[in-house]
Amino acid sequence: MAARLLLRSGLRAVTTCQAVRAPALSRSMAAGGIPTDEEQATGLEKVIMKAMKEGKDPFNMMKPKSYAGSRNDPHLVPSITNKRVVGCICEEDNTSIVWFWLHEGEPQRCPSCGAHYKLVPHNLSH
Amino acid sequence: MAHQAHAYHMVDPSPWPLTGAVAALLMTSGLAIWMHFHTMTLMSLGLILLLLTMYQWWRDIIREGTFQGHHTPPVQKGLRYGMILFITSEVFFFLGFFWAFYHSSLAPTPELGGCWPPTGITTLNPFEVPLLNTAVLLASGVTVTWAHHSIMEGQRKQAIQSLTLTILLGFYFTALQAMEYYEAPFTIADGVYGSTFFVATGFHGLHVIIGSTFLAVCLLRQAQYHFTSDHHFGFEAAAWYWHFVDVVWLFLYISIYWWGS
Repeated sequence: MAARLLLRSGLRAVTTCQAVRAPALSRSMAAGGIPTDEEQATGLEKVIMKAMKEGKDPFNMMKPKSYAGSRNDPHLVPSITNKRVVGCICEEDNTSIVWFWLHEGEPQRCPSCGAHYKLVPHNLSH
Repeated sequence: MAHQAHAYHMVDPSPWPLTGAVAALLMTSGLAIWMHFHTMTLMSLGLILLLLTMYQWWRDIIREGTFQGHHTPPVQKGLRYGMILFITSEVFFFLGFFWAFYHSSLAPTPELGGCWPPTGITTLNPFEVPLLNTAVLLASGVTVTWAHHSIMEGQRKQAIQSLTLTILLGFYFTALQAMEYYEAPFTIADGVYGSTFFVATGFHGLHVIIGSTFLAVCLLRQAQYHFTSDHHFGFEAAAWYWHFVDVVWLFLYISIYWWGS
């Protein structure tokens, strides 16, 4: 019985779906009956989904962006207040992290390797 | 909206961990009371409390994830780790019973007749119902994968059909196995053969019932539009569990039913 059902659905998929697949593979409530995240996501999941689509990462889920760390290209550190703790791994594979408070205003330098860090304050979007 | 600067879910205070712990206490002590004083009251109370706890706790998780949107990518990742770790612990649980089986069957004692199967045991023919059961579970593995692809491709009707088929196959397995248990020429009391056979296959059967229930819950959720084409971890967890149940059966079939016959 399972084989017949499988064959029948396979046949239907092969014959009917060819027409649907020609335009963009649209999956949505209208097309197949299963909603997409676009249509149905809510709450924090939706906020994060929207932000990620715009290339933003307000909750620091990803690795921080890579900067040169020089005076002209300092590490930009986002913050929701006017100061944030920074941990500098001066050289790759260093096992000790240099921690310090980064304050709003003039860029500060890591006390160990001298890399430049600048705080970028912004408000939480919600 | 939660005013947090992180993507994780700080869960609201909940009574269900406590009720679950109380249920565990009542079930275990109730088991002891049943064995010594022949009354099932305490144990039944524990069982009811366990069922209520499971229903309400998982209902709350569905509310938090599907209806409130708390299951962000990092949260979902944590849930995935959790399910994998849980299934791993279950693998070790079954490993113990396989150890017991091989311990007794690789070096059968003189009391058994120095042979395996032991003297006097009529084993089940591995090429009759057990082989059918193998085919049934393997087929259910195919249908559950079909259901997953249907969900990912946004095909509601196919998802519901294939998921229903998976559950029906699970029921078919359980029914066949129940019949086998009833008709078997040996019992759990028949020496170490009976013990290893019924404890190992019995716990497996329990896991089939658990897995079928998990899939049934997924079917209800799918019918009520909980799952999206990208986010349907509840279903994936159920599918992982179901594949695990299938793999355990394959090991049972090869070791106990086939090699052990």
